[in-house]
Amino acid sequence: MMRALRDLLLFFQRDLRIASTYRSPFVLEIVEALFGAATFYYVARFVDSPELKQSLPHGTTYFAYSLVGFAFFDYLHAALDSFDRSLEEARDTGTLEPLLVTQVPLPVIIAGSAVYPFLATTLRIAVYLGWGALLFGFPLHSANWLTVIVVLLATLLAFSGMGILSSAYLLLFKRGNPAKWFLLSVSGVAGGMLFPVSILPDWLQLVAHVNPVTYALDAMRSALLDGASVLQIARPLSILLLFAVILLPLAMATFSWALRRTKITGTLSHR
Amino acid sequence: MRRVYLTGELPIPLSKTLAGPFALFSRNRHVINSRVPDNAIRIDSLFKSFPPARTGWRAFLQPFAASTSPALRNVSLEVKQGESVALLGTNGAGKTTLLRILATLLLPTSGSAVIAGHDAVRDPGAVRSQLGYHAGSDLGFYARLTGRENLHFFGRLNHLADSQLRSRIPELAERFELQSALERQVRALSSGMIQRLSLLRAMIHEPKVLLLDEPTRSLDAIAAAEFRSFLKSEVLKRRGTSLLFASHTLSEIELLADRVAILNEGELVALDTPANLKSRSGATTLQQAFCRFTGHSARALEEPVPS
Repeated sequence: MMRALRDLLLFFQRDLRIASTYRSPFVLEIVEALFGAATFYYVARFVDSPELKQSLPHGTTYFAYSLVGFAFFDYLHAALDSFDRSLEEARDTGTLEPLLVTQVPLPVIIAGSAVYPFLATTLRIAVYLGWGALLFGFPLHSANWLTVIVVLLATLLAFSGMGILSSAYLLLFKRGNPAKWFLLSVSGVAGGMLFPVSILPDWLQLVAHVNPVTYALDAMRSALLDGASVLQIARPLSILLLFAVILLPLAMATFSWALRRTKITGTLSHR
Repeated sequence: MRRVYLTGELPIPLSKTLAGPFALFSRNRHVINSRVPDNAIRIDSLFKSFPPARTGWRAFLQPFAASTSPALRNVSLEVKQGESVALLGTNGAGKTTLLRILATLLLPTSGSAVIAGHDAVRDPGAVRSQLGYHAGSDLGFYARLTGRENLHFFGRLNHLADSQLRSRIPELAERFELQSALERQVRALSSGMIQRLSLLRAMIHEPKVLLLDEPTRSLDAIAAAEFRSFLKSEVLKRRGTSLLFASHTLSEIELLADRVAILNEGELVALDTPANLKSRSGATTLQQAFCRFTGHSARALEEPVPS
């Protein structure tokens, strides 16, 4: 028994040593926890607040509001996570190099590896909303599905840039995902996932207004809960597309540069 | 009585061999290697350096660090079409680095590497279409997919049509004696089978050049012998594929290689047929020749001298 415990301790020490060689995830996870706590604080504050009715879109229940926020965040998570997760898995399973000596370039390999997670997440969101409509009165009947699809595509484009930037970071530094950390952690508070940004302090509202998640959620709620047309969500949609136009080429260029650096430093398949 | 072959006993000290009768290992590639037509591989004045490894917080600067640790120094060699050349050297001599540059997994610091007429830096996509690379490990497959599913996936990534793969996979599997592996998940296969599966994958698109990094590293003696026999009969003789492979197994090198490139600390110190390497260094075995060319310890080479 004692022997088994000692062995367990040895494994724990080994893993702790390995983890301590990757410094940035520790810091990022600590700060992420702070933002997570802040998220729940503001949820509680909002639910108890008289601002509830006046802050929500007309005729929207908090359930519908938060369900869209929660489900949409899952999608955002997939957009940010799929690229570097596919890269990480390929590296860890040893399939990265066999993939890289095929005739398919790495950006295509990574993008291709993200297709399934995107589709799976879309299906999962559909299930969330389906259960919501079936059991809890989620107003699916008021959705404008064309607008929903347009918003999803614009969101995918806008956030894939961040996901690709994150892969570039992973290529260079081997672990950690600051783009995902920033968008998911900060957006949990200042993105309108579970409460409107209007209840936030001024400085956090400022953060929310430069955060593409805020616009994506606005557009998605309008499409799903208000049945808004594409024209009616032109403003958040154009801001999302602007993010995509800026971020995608920047992300691709950064990724190419990172790939080249790893081929120079010989760390392409290092963990 | 035993005689020990040491570096100092070379006909000419190693440091002076560059201009002497050992001029074949000169840095002058024209002396090392007469130009041959129809080269499958042409490597010209290749240098590769890596940044020094950093630890702790300084590891964050690793991706931006200057490359100061040389791994290859002015390597030039050519491999003819249908020729088999072995890379021989100690660990860290630069064999894997050279193969990885040719496989487009690394960028050289300077110099050029051309495969089947395509430059590995400027046109890596075209290079990859002409080569098969087997890293010698038994990783690199999707463990929960069957052998066939894995081969089909990688074959498709090499732009082979479904119909081509449907006929080619069973045909190659039969030659590699891998029929039973096709329908089993890779996680259920032995190391030897995965090695052969990996070689099959490297050859599935019928590349002109095959790069193998210690191909029999994790095979048992019998499997390794079968593997070599297969390489000799199927890959080299039957298909006429050019082969550049790294190996520490001298018997394997003597069986498979038309010529042997000896690397020492990143430098190409000799390139010739096994027989010529032995005769020029006055050695009776390839192992002795290797030690004489590289100046490595000859302790293992002790052998009785006839009275």
